[in-house]
Amino acid sequence: MLTKKQKRINWVLVIFLLVLSIFFLFPVIWMLANSFKPDAAITADMNSVAAFIPPMPQGNFFENYVTIIKDTSFLRYMGNTLFYAAVMIVLGIVVNGLAGYALAKIPFPFSDKWLLIILMLQIVPTETVITIHFLIIAKAGLLNTVLGYVLPMIVNPFNIYLFRQVFVSLPDDVYEAAQLDFCGPVKYFFTMVLPMSKTVVATVGVFTFLNVWNDYLWPALVFTSGDLLTAQIGLNAITSNENTTMGQTLAVITMITIPVIIIYSLFSKQIVEGVTSTGSKEG
Amino acid sequence: MSFIEFRNICKKYPGAEKNTVDGFNLEIQEKEFIAFVGPSGCGKSTTLRMVAGFEEITGGDLYIDGKRVNEMAPKDRGIAMVFQNYALYPHMTVEKNIAYGLKNMKVPAAEIKKKVDWAVKILGLEEYRLRKPKNLSGGQRQRVALGRAIVKNQKVFLMDEPLSNLDAKLRVSMRTEISKLHRELGATTIYVTHDQVEAMTMADRIVIMKDGIVQQVGAPLELYNHPANKFVAGFIGSPQMNFFDVTVKGNTVSFADGNQLILEKGALAKLNGRGGEMILGIRGEDLKLDAQNMELYGANSQRAVITNTEVMGNENNLYFTFGGSQAVARVSKYEISQIGDEIEFVFMPSKMQFFDKKTGENYIKNDAEE
Repeated sequence: MLTKKQKRINWVLVIFLLVLSIFFLFPVIWMLANSFKPDAAITADMNSVAAFIPPMPQGNFFENYVTIIKDTSFLRYMGNTLFYAAVMIVLGIVVNGLAGYALAKIPFPFSDKWLLIILMLQIVPTETVITIHFLIIAKAGLLNTVLGYVLPMIVNPFNIYLFRQVFVSLPDDVYEAAQLDFCGPVKYFFTMVLPMSKTVVATVGVFTFLNVWNDYLWPALVFTSGDLLTAQIGLNAITSNENTTMGQTLAVITMITIPVIIIYSLFSKQIVEGVTSTGSKEG
Repeated sequence: MSFIEFRNICKKYPGAEKNTVDGFNLEIQEKEFIAFVGPSGCGKSTTLRMVAGFEEITGGDLYIDGKRVNEMAPKDRGIAMVFQNYALYPHMTVEKNIAYGLKNMKVPAAEIKKKVDWAVKILGLEEYRLRKPKNLSGGQRQRVALGRAIVKNQKVFLMDEPLSNLDAKLRVSMRTEISKLHRELGATTIYVTHDQVEAMTMADRIVIMKDGIVQQVGAPLELYNHPANKFVAGFIGSPQMNFFDVTVKGNTVSFADGNQLILEKGALAKLNGRGGEMILGIRGEDLKLDAQNMELYGANSQRAVITNTEVMGNENNLYFTFGGSQAVARVSKYEISQIGDEIEFVFMPSKMQFFDKKTGENYIKNDAEE
């Protein structure tokens, strides 16, 4: 039961956070409102509150969006990115999950040192590693292929660590019980370990999606053909084109932001739980 | 021929100085209910886990149904196990938990359904079959774990302290249920517990272990009446057996506080001429206060002042200091005494046990007299 004083403090905190969130929401609201306006209206509203108010829905309300969808391949780029993200999520969960499981549950020499080495990899900036990745992929003749894009991105030290931290607290007797129920180790991983660790699976899935969705450098290096480009590269190409209006730019930015907002709002609970989870399970 | 045979089984963990389980020999008959009992760290669970195949056997041979199983995978040993922490699959419903093993055994769906129906019925889980483990009480979870074990028709059941997480009342009812299940299914059962009451009430035979070594194997009453050593005598029975440091000279037993009693011929014969310092052990219920026994053995009566009482309802425990030790007498509920009362009591001559002071070995061997 909260005391009166605690309740008062809670209210003050809520109001403070609401005010704070407005600061962060300003650019998003501005972007959304102006993505429906022609450039002339954007410029006219620039110095007034109207800059944050979308126009009344009329015949050409979605004109900026329609132009982007009709005149550019941005939808295709978004589709590509969704596909890469899906592949990367599945492979990332399997590969990083198996590595995390091995580090958590399978005794092998120097397993704790391995964990340390894997964690140290996290310190190395992506930009340093990416040159080597590029050289390997180029040598393997995988430039401008989906495989070349996906392969170096699957293993993620942070995800391995996340999986390991959760798996280490899974009770061993469940594995023993499963063995007596004729469940082999691979089946156990997929039918027991992953379902028992839904939170971390969701967290890794969301992180992987966001990584793929927001990644610019690696796809820019690997992909040269327009067919395979990702949304971020498409965004850059569209916004740097001098024929693109400001309204269209804002529309394309809105389009690229929407999936991220959806994912965050759907999985925010799991992300927090997954990162903070001590992994304690109940029978 | 025995169904499970332990031949000099040893377990030594890497880096450990001595064996956790040392020279374990035992033959278990088919359909027998065996309990492994002992204090924490005595090696009982390790032994059970070696039978299951979860611990490597570092010495000796283990046979199940005539086959050496030392290197055999757990699933191939024909065993089912109930774990202390239930080890249910948390993301599966009760019926899926029970059916999981059968599914993996590729049992036809219709038969799985029949078996699951049977299991949930006899375990009283019908209304919970679609619940997940987190929505069940401890007792219900343990019944699901039992259900998972019984549907697979395995010949050996291993139970690792299955009732230790339950409250006292539930433990008593589950004890009855497990005994009933054992009678109905007839599977050879090894039951590990640290609770001697569970072992006494459920098992056909009890194996008492201490520091990885078997102290005694026998039927519950055999262990109770003829403990092989002081450890077994003290472990089995509640309240614990009374122990007194005594010196035996001829037919006279002298206690540390100067009290004496005269041994009758029968007890003397059992001692077989032994004398000197030893430990006298006698159970609380064999210290008698009633008129009949006082009349019979009154010549040897002793006196003490009660320091504490426990009124159990069906009986009373009277605590007092005697012979330099704390002692307890279990008397009927009608023999009421208060703290500070002086009581007169006798030792039942035939029930006295004499233990070696150093080794703890019982000098009184099991013979036909009892």
